Amino acid sequence: MDGPDEIIHQSMRLKITATLNALPSGEQLEFNTLKAVLNATDGNMATHLAALEKAGYIAVQKDFVGKKPRTRVSLTRTGRKAFERHVAYLKDLLEGGG
Amino acid sequence: MNVSREEAAQALKDIDRANDRIVQLKGYQHGAPFFIVWGLVWLVANSVSQFWPEYQKWVWPGSVAVGFLVSLALGVMQSRRSPSGNPATERERRIGGKIGLTAGVLMIFIVSVLLIAQPQTADAGNAMVSIFFPFMYMAAGIWAGWRLFVIGFITAAAILVGYFWMKDYFDIWMGVFGGGSLIAGGLWLRTA
Repeated sequence: MDGPDEIIHQSMRLKITATLNALPSGEQLEFNTLKAVLNATDGNMATHLAALEKAGYIAVQKDFVGKKPRTRVSLTRTGRKAFERHVAYLKDLLEGGG
Repeated sequence: MNVSREEAAQALKDIDRANDRIVQLKGYQHGAPFFIVWGLVWLVANSVSQFWPEYQKWVWPGSVAVGFLVSLALGVMQSRRSPSGNPATERERRIGGKIGLTAGVLMIFIVSVLLIAQPQTADAGNAMVSIFFPFMYMAAGIWAGWRLFVIGFITAAAILVGYFWMKDYFDIWMGVFGGGSLIAGGLWLRTA
């Protein structure tokens, strides 16, 4: 059995990846929507998104809508696989495999 | 790194919650424009009925027809591109088709109820048709998200209060509170 994914296992990062994983592959979610869904603050969210981006688990796209900046995030293929492995690890642990 | 069984259980619960929240969010995003359209139909048709009763028999079929056409266009648009701006997935297209069929079944049901019950006054007919939708929202809200339930509850309460206690101003009451609650509800869903 693979071990836990140390990047994903942190509570807020787990919620971020779980939320993005619930979207169809490649679909992006706006930063503000994600923040509202997870009840997170700007700073907290930005820190964890940066960690996930650095690991290659999420892609962050920044652009402008009119004059307003917009940040959108999506789970990469690597991130989706890492998330699935982590969930499998958690389930194995609960079923007594750990 | 060690993970306890309790932590694993909590993590899986968080994952389930995230899934539920995304399903709810998508439902809200898809539903919001329909609430706004039908709120406007309700507002316009009831307002005209109150202030220009001579046009009542034209404004209802006209505005309902416009509502259906706009809803149809919205449905087709959403089957191609989701409200979040991403291309619609196969699953979203399938769900959209089922929602359309469900709406058709409900419309036939409402017409059947009206034919059987034969309401004696225009207000009774208006209330009978109108009260059906908020209860549908409440029922859907039990499954899909509490905001839908709240919109349904407020709208149903407005209709009942208007029908029993605001008879002289029933049409405009229905327009402002019934239509208004749907428009406000649609805008509220967009903020989810």
